[in-house]
Parts: sequence; structure tokens; C-alpha cells
Amino acid sequence: MEKIYEQTMLYDFYGELLTDHQRSIYEDVVYNDMSLGEIAEERGISRQGVHDLIRRCDRILQEYESKLHLVERFAKAKETVMEIRRLAGSADSTGDSDQTGIADLTKITEPDGQEPGANPAAAEPVGNDGGEVFSHMVDRMQRIAHLAQGLMEEL
Amino acid sequence: MAVKIRLKRMGQKKAPFYRIIVADSRSPRDGRFIEEIGTYDPSTDPSTFKINEELAKKWLANGAQPTEVVGKLFKAAGIEK
Repeated sequence: MEKIYEQTMLYDFYGELLTDHQRSIYEDVVYNDMSLGEIAEERGISRQGVHDLIRRCDRILQEYESKLHLVERFAKAKETVMEIRRLAGSADSTGDSDQTGIADLTKITEPDGQEPGANPAAAEPVGNDGGEVFSHMVDRMQRIAHLAQGLMEEL
Repeated sequence: MAVKIRLKRMGQKKAPFYRIIVADSRSPRDGRFIEEIGTYDPSTDPSTFKINEELAKKWLANGAQPTEVVGKLFKAAGIEK
């Protein structure tokens, strides 16, 4: 994981536990990607001083995380939600989602799966597919229910 | 007057993403920037970024300094000076 992302997440969760001075400097780092030299110059303190302060903040935030695991749990919950979304067949932001969910549903409601005016004989194999698609859907829903259950317990 | 290419945090709390911006080195916090040349989203796996290569090259050629993270992104995107 990119360091600035890790720092930003830790700061989002535990930043309020730092002092105002610490927060102000840490925000320069994680919100504005400023270098130690720039921060030092602007505030009239030594580069070493800024460096030490940021290291200390890193350590403090890591320590909160190692005891509370809020970032970790948040990431896990997010993953579960993504998985549920994928199973539900809705398009998600990653773009690699399994898009068949909703399509499957339409197949069930229109078991013949034919275009208006299509040759009825050609539709037969698709119609036979209905049962299988349905059991897929049930399986999918069971997995969603299972994931949701886990999510509820975790939260 | 040094010009820097740096990240600027956007997005909501706990869902950060960044813009890659070109800005004067002395105005990082007031939000003023010269030009936006891309975005970086570290929350996806793997992280995704979008860089306007033409603009990036232009600014690099004009002597703009990328920060460490932005330098890494440029490298990943295959943008050299």
C-alpha cells in the first residue's frame, strides 16, 4: 500500500487524537503532499524537527490501529460489501464485476429468452436453462446472506 | 519561483483519492493550483491513476519538480523527463 494512502487512512480514523499542532503539520503531509523542507521553511522550524514530529505521529497512529484495528475492519467491511455487490450483479467501480446477476433474472422472468418475432424452435434450449439459472440465483443469494450475516456480526 | 507537481487530497473522509496538480511551491494549502494533470486512486486494488502525459511532459520540461509519490506514479506511467 502506498505510504501516503496508509497515512491518510490512519489520519482519517485517529487524527482527532493528535494535538492541534501535530494535526496541522500532518495534514500538510497527507493532504497536500508537502516535503519536510517546505513545511520546515514555512513554519520556521528545523527540517529535523518536522521529521521527528511526523515519525512520532506515524507511531502514535499505528499504535491506535494496532489496538483498535478500525482501519483494518473498515477495509474488510468494504471488501465484503464489494463482494455482495458483485454477487448481486450490480456494476461496481472496479469494472470487473460479474454482470450476469441481473441478466440471469431476466432470463427467469422470460424463460423463452427470445426476441420478439424470433423463431420459437430456437428458443427451446434457453428455456431449459431456467432451472439451472434459478439454482444459481439461490446459491448466489445464500452467499450474499452469509456475507451480510458476517458483516452484521463484525459491526 | 519553484513549481511543483504534487498530490492534492480529495474525496470524503475514509475514502481518499488524489488529484495530481501543478502548483507554485508556496501555495500548497490555499488550494490554488496552476493546472490539474491527473488523478490517483489508491483505494482500488491495484491502485489506479490517470495522467495527462502531454501536460506532465510539458511541465517536467519546464522544470517543475514532482514530489516523491508523483515521481513514482510518473515512473509507473512510463513518463520520463
